[in-house]
Amino acid sequence: MKKRVFLIGGFNKTRTLADSLLKKGYEVTAINADRNKCEVLAQKKQLNVFCGDGSKPFVLEDADAYNADIAIALSERDEDNLVTCELCKKKFNVKKTVSLVSDAKKTNFFYKMGIDSVFCAVSAIAGIIEQHALLEEMSTLATLSQGRVRITQIEIAKSAPVVNKKLMELKLPHGVIIGCVLRGERSIVPRGNTRVHAGDELVVISSDEHESDAIKLLTGKGE
Amino acid sequence: MNKAKYNKSQKKRESYTMVVGCGRLGANLANTLSDIGEGVVVIDKNQESFRKLSPSFGGIALEGDASNMTVLEHADINRATAVISLTNNDNTNIMVAQLAKEMFGIEQVIARLYDPECECVYEEFGISTICPAVLSMKEIDKLLPTIPLGHLEEAIQEDKGDKA
Repeated sequence: MKKRVFLIGGFNKTRTLADSLLKKGYEVTAINADRNKCEVLAQKKQLNVFCGDGSKPFVLEDADAYNADIAIALSERDEDNLVTCELCKKKFNVKKTVSLVSDAKKTNFFYKMGIDSVFCAVSAIAGIIEQHALLEEMSTLATLSQGRVRITQIEIAKSAPVVNKKLMELKLPHGVIIGCVLRGERSIVPRGNTRVHAGDELVVISSDEHESDAIKLLTGKGE
Repeated sequence: MNKAKYNKSQKKRESYTMVVGCGRLGANLANTLSDIGEGVVVIDKNQESFRKLSPSFGGIALEGDASNMTVLEHADINRATAVISLTNNDNTNIMVAQLAKEMFGIEQVIARLYDPECECVYEEFGISTICPAVLSMKEIDKLLPTIPLGHLEEAIQEDKGDKA
């Protein structure tokens, strides 16, 4: 059976997300309080659209939230998203609830209230911009457990202080390991005696507090 | 407007009641609490709302969005003995109440909810709710003895949804 996803509130995010979810074969329902926006959303084939305030129980009931597998709250108001997710969880027994939060300080609070995944768009975007603005030779591939663990790809320039050193000589801080060395076409899972060459790309797994130390050590740059 | 309302030295009081939303009910409650000598902080995002406070109001009026944690911290919510959320938005009241309860450990938390349907969800979280519609129904039931008693009570129960 097709998985049913509810997108509640939000307009541009709903449109983009609906496209990609429909392509992947989900059954998608969008709920929006604005009639004009609903009409635009309804132009998409296959997308079910309900007009109403998604933080109200009767609207969710009309939209048949009892049968939803995933509810994603995308409105701009934190309180609406919180209530929407709590209703979906408690009243409609939706298995997974996802919420956007605009105030990053509330992320923990939302998790505490039982929402399964919480995303702060502002801090996520700020993080990406910061990474790209500060250092060009690195890119974060993934962040895990709400940003506490990072997987970062770092390019080693000719001038980097670690060139021609063995990994065991690098004195990497605890909490940082080099998971993989990408050299040309090859990818090497390194050992302590693997030498770093200029032009290598290192995949570094680190905790967030050690990430900048590791980058500084490997590239010789940083604040 | 009395400048003393913003005097920070008044914050040094031992404990106080926080009222969120300075509407008719919020302002009345804040005035009454202040009159009987209780410490009160009333928060509203609109400065104009504080005009409803009586000239003798002796508490603190704080302009800001109480759904923002920084504003709550600024108001020293940790020292509040009770938080009563009375804005005109149910969702805001729910979030303020839950923030107070879960993030700041306030024991006594009350939220006004216009929509009685949500009530069942929030009783679980240990938040007391006031629902004007339910209260009015009960009063009407009292005032209209011609309507068979218990009839309205049933309707109220249905409105509240199944609590089981």
